[in-house]
Amino acid sequence: MPIEVDWCDYDVVVVGSGGAGSHAAQAAAATGARVLVVSKDPIGASDTKISEGLATVRESGSDDDSEEILSENLKMAGGDLPLNAITDAFAADSKEAYDIYRRQGLRPEIDDERDIPKPLPLPMGGHTRRRSVGHRNSGIAFGHANWNMIVQGEGIDYLEDSWFLDLVTDQAEAGTDKSVVGGIIYHAALGRLIAVKTSSVVIASGGLSTLYFPKTDTMRGNTGDSYAIAARAGADLVDMEQVQFLPFCLASPPSYEGLLVGEPVTASYLGVLRDKNGKVILDGVFLRTRADCSSAIMRAVEDGRGSPNGGAYLDMTANKRPPRSGPYFMRFVESALPSAYKVARQAMSKAAGNCEEPWEVRPSAHYMMGGIRADEHGASVAGDGDGSAGAGLAGLFTAGQAMGGVFGANRLGSTSLTEGAVFGRRAGEAAAHLARKSATRDTREEAFTPMIENIRRRFGQKGDSAAAVLKLELQKAAWINIGPVRTADRIAEMERVLSDLDAKLDDVAVPGYAEWNQAFIEFEELRNLIASARGVCLASRERDGSLGGHVRMDGKQISAFSKPYSTVVSHSPGGGWRVRRVNRDRTPLKQIIAFKIQDAKRKAAVKWLRMLPAGMQDRALEKKYLAVMGAGGTAKEVMPGGADAAVGEATQA
Amino acid sequence: MKVEIVTRRDGEQEIVAYDYVPRDDSEKPMILDVLLQAQANGMPDLAFRYGCRARNCGVCTVDINGRPRIACRARIKEGDRISPMATLPALSDLVVRRDGVARQMRGRLATAGQGNDLNVSAPDDYHALTGCIECYACLHECPMHARNFDGGLPDEQAVEDRPDPAEGYTSGNPFSLLKLQRIRIDPLTSEAGKSSALDNAIDLGLDACVGCKGCKCGVGIDLIGKVIWPMLEAAGDRLAEKG
Repeated sequence: MPIEVDWCDYDVVVVGSGGAGSHAAQAAAATGARVLVVSKDPIGASDTKISEGLATVRESGSDDDSEEILSENLKMAGGDLPLNAITDAFAADSKEAYDIYRRQGLRPEIDDERDIPKPLPLPMGGHTRRRSVGHRNSGIAFGHANWNMIVQGEGIDYLEDSWFLDLVTDQAEAGTDKSVVGGIIYHAALGRLIAVKTSSVVIASGGLSTLYFPKTDTMRGNTGDSYAIAARAGADLVDMEQVQFLPFCLASPPSYEGLLVGEPVTASYLGVLRDKNGKVILDGVFLRTRADCSSAIMRAVEDGRGSPNGGAYLDMTANKRPPRSGPYFMRFVESALPSAYKVARQAMSKAAGNCEEPWEVRPSAHYMMGGIRADEHGASVAGDGDGSAGAGLAGLFTAGQAMGGVFGANRLGSTSLTEGAVFGRRAGEAAAHLARKSATRDTREEAFTPMIENIRRRFGQKGDSAAAVLKLELQKAAWINIGPVRTADRIAEMERVLSDLDAKLDDVAVPGYAEWNQAFIEFEELRNLIASARGVCLASRERDGSLGGHVRMDGKQISAFSKPYSTVVSHSPGGGWRVRRVNRDRTPLKQIIAFKIQDAKRKAAVKWLRMLPAGMQDRALEKKYLAVMGAGGTAKEVMPGGADAAVGEATQA
Repeated sequence: MKVEIVTRRDGEQEIVAYDYVPRDDSEKPMILDVLLQAQANGMPDLAFRYGCRARNCGVCTVDINGRPRIACRARIKEGDRISPMATLPALSDLVVRRDGVARQMRGRLATAGQGNDLNVSAPDDYHALTGCIECYACLHECPMHARNFDGGLPDEQAVEDRPDPAEGYTSGNPFSLLKLQRIRIDPLTSEAGKSSALDNAIDLGLDACVGCKGCKCGVGIDLIGKVIWPMLEAAGDRLAEKG
């Protein structure tokens, strides 16, 4: 018997239940819209929940912070790829959006004197102000807030264990462009398909880092669903070559491979990166962006000077050694990124955990900076330049990692949790607004039929391939060919692998039963990974120099002074995949130069610190730590639980 | 290393032997390492949940020899049997249906009446509770949760007697109590909000905690000291009246 279909209709459908999805759902429901949240993982079990739990809160560190400065930081870090309207929106909404989290129970530590959440003692790389607020229990605390929003949410229905497979589009009347009329969902726990009619879908289902598994520190569910679903429905994707690789992740032991152990800021005043010969390959690490650090490591690896597991060494021993400032450094490392440091201590030797030995680190895929091309309300856009919503796919909205155009070529630390809240809310409101306008429209069930029939045919498909095994093949090839290091040849090789895999999709065996059919799930996720990887390949080919997240070994570094452009990838059933460039506005020269001078000054100041005789250096550092951390040097307890108490660690073999 | 994996397809249960090949001599694999290798090596359709591999997301809990463990951070040894969490209804292989727990909290999480000043620090006990990753290890041997299944386990129940998870379970568990206790100690919750949280705990079956030998948290939160006792203390007289 073919898998059965249930029908329903909603004003707004939100795909994803992480930071962006929950904020979108709540914002849409607050306007009176009837909202359905569709999540393949349990509610709230997203990248937000497993993150370091750092949020950008404008003005939290100093009164001289402003919307203009924050917006400029984002745009400059992103190599002028982010849209002005989008970075301005981020800067304008960042405090308010964060307060929504607080209304749901997120409780930061408060700086009583300034009556504002207390940020980390140092600005994170690329931020010119201290404004990254850390939280006890890291992202888990955000996860609770998101969970509450959806589970409690008035006007919000939700489905978990449910895969949103594809958007359904149709012409409102003959001769007009297609717009969103609904979607098809596989409810694995019930073993049924659900056809949902709606005029407004917010795609907030995360990124594609699983393409690089296990060289990633993110959730398994990041199988590129957002991009594949949008592209198949005809929407533009932007900056798809810009995968962010976090520099300081583990290369071993196997159970910990890929997990995050630190950020540039972790390296503190004296941390440096070294190659296998002990030569410094990057200094002033704590002032560098993630992209700078990843690039330095991968260039050393390509040059044959990498560590045994294909990385480099993060050497923080100089911070630890001085008798006066050393203890402050340790408290800083423990409290700045508690869950990353917890991983470091568990996975590496005791000496490494105490920063008395360098850490072997290797970049991991962490975040997709490109994504669905959208405006500052998360609405799908197309056309030249910044694009227009009129030309985009009507009814498609996006937020969070699914959305492109926010971070461009480099995302600064602590910005993604804020991004999810800011654009989740905006997309939810815009989607509800459109739903009100489209309320009277009739939806033809025939528009859903071809897709439903296609899906039904997959159940019981005979074949000799297993999607889970093909996925491993894809992941291996993706790291080598479209990972942190790329060349035109490697990209071409990847495209060959993708064509091979595409051809094998019809040979994947899928049993016929409906309830939680893992083979069908693996098939759908593989299909999405392949489509997303296509986007990465095309955009990487178009971007023929090094910029941001990855190094082009066969191209030049793209200068901040050159004319910036973004890549736009799209797919049409008749015409296949295509890529083109759209121009971006360059930050005025005066501003770039001022930023560069300021940056050089900060780096020089640290260089000077490293040259001081040991005693003087120690006292100077002590003073610096005291100034930023206070005499108490708040060392937060690493939570949750100790090894003894935890069920996980209690079962030593 | 030989282990057993309990699989389930279309309602049919089977115990499959799997021989794990260590990746180096010194490797002491986690449960998840075994599942990932099995999937890559001969069991491509093996269904199991996992997410972050770092004990943060809470979705990969399975039973090892009948006790719940977080698969990504619990070691496995020769002869161990991996089965789905027995406290929730099994779907496929190691995947259980989780949503009956979350849905019971619908309408019980109201935090209305909060003050306007958000700049208030929360006490340490509050943060101890937001460390919960929702792994559901605490459902193990919980008499309150067992009430949903006539005092036993979901799969022991006749099909027609099973509660519909989509409706939300009527009896609670340590996780749902933790969610309510968090509301009670949030400095921004109004008095009315605190008292409604306690009402909800009693409604979910807080009386089952009286005389219970106690629950164990998957990530080491002191459930008895920080959730159960404070609630029992506050509800004392009302529970006594209830009998």
